[in-house]
Amino acid sequence: MPEAIEQIFLSLVNANKGIIHKITKMYMDNSEDQKDLFQEIVLQLWKAYPGFKGNSKFSTWMYRVALNTALVFLRKESRKVGQTELNENIDLADTGDNQEQEERLASLYKAVQELNKIEKALIFLFLENQSHREIAHNLGITEGNARVKLNRTKEKLQQIIKKNGYEF
Amino acid sequence: MNFDQLKDDWNSAKAPSANISPELLKMKEAHTPIETIRKRMKGEFNYQLVGMFIIALCPFTFNFPAKIIPIFVAFYSIMAGFTAYYFYKFYAFYKNAYDLSLDTRKNLLWFYYEMKMNVELYKALSYILVFISIAFVGIAFLMVSGDNMPGLRHFTIPVIIVFCFLTVLIMGLATEFWARYYYGKHVAQLKAIIDALDEE
Repeated sequence: MPEAIEQIFLSLVNANKGIIHKITKMYMDNSEDQKDLFQEIVLQLWKAYPGFKGNSKFSTWMYRVALNTALVFLRKESRKVGQTELNENIDLADTGDNQEQEERLASLYKAVQELNKIEKALIFLFLENQSHREIAHNLGITEGNARVKLNRTKEKLQQIIKKNGYEF
Repeated sequence: MNFDQLKDDWNSAKAPSANISPELLKMKEAHTPIETIRKRMKGEFNYQLVGMFIIALCPFTFNFPAKIIPIFVAFYSIMAGFTAYYFYKFYAFYKNAYDLSLDTRKNLLWFYYEMKMNVELYKALSYILVFISIAFVGIAFLMVSGDNMPGLRHFTIPVIIVFCFLTVLIMGLATEFWARYYYGKHVAQLKAIIDALDEE
């Protein structure tokens, strides 16, 4: 029975793994930290999974756990031996359809590194097509506050992208 | 480039094809601030046990006069009682599961107040142990007053007052420094994120 639960969980997470990949790339600027955060998110999802009652879509629940994990995640101060084997199971490279799209996304990931953790969460939820109301609900703030913060963050991101030499 | 275009790119980006390994679910070590604090408190618990054992040997090591032994036993029991109570609290904190599926604000506040409360508990335990130790030394001094331990004759009342004051001061500062150094930075990081979230 536990194995069956594990299989169901893995199939749900695999179907939505793009969410985790995107969050790790937004929150960490190097591949080792991205892999660590990826592992941490999967682990926290698994630990929280017994509490998932199916009242919302799995992806909605996953947004919260993954974002909350990224917000409190601590980078490793020293790397541990034996991690490599596990990391081989993770491939963090996006496979974009074309060169231009990849470049634009690369410029986005580079720019978001200059945002704080809350601003990253706002941009992530915005790019995931969430409404102001949904963003506010996920972050636990008012809709008005979510709107103001998101507008400010978009302006800030736009400035950073321009500063980095891209047209916006 | 504009946000609509970025959204399109974002949503059409494909995730890597490799599936998540079941091995990832078997990891035990987590890297949240709570886990870090729990790990350190577990270490401190072990030090504390060693410390209590060493204190238990004091009457033999320092050859305490017979009339002090019952006082020592009484103070040691009080110390052990407080330590057991606080470590029960820490154990509950250690075992307490947390839910990362709450909304972000609730989740951050939970982490923040849990950590803050446990750091304060840790500091309170340190202060209590210092006060109990000082009280024992004071009472023991009054009881023997140099009769059985000639070395204590140099300890006049003003010297004892200064000694107690400096001990409390040094231990207080050391505890504050220790708590801030080991635990404070995580609490401060979380506070900064909460402030950013609450900012209008």
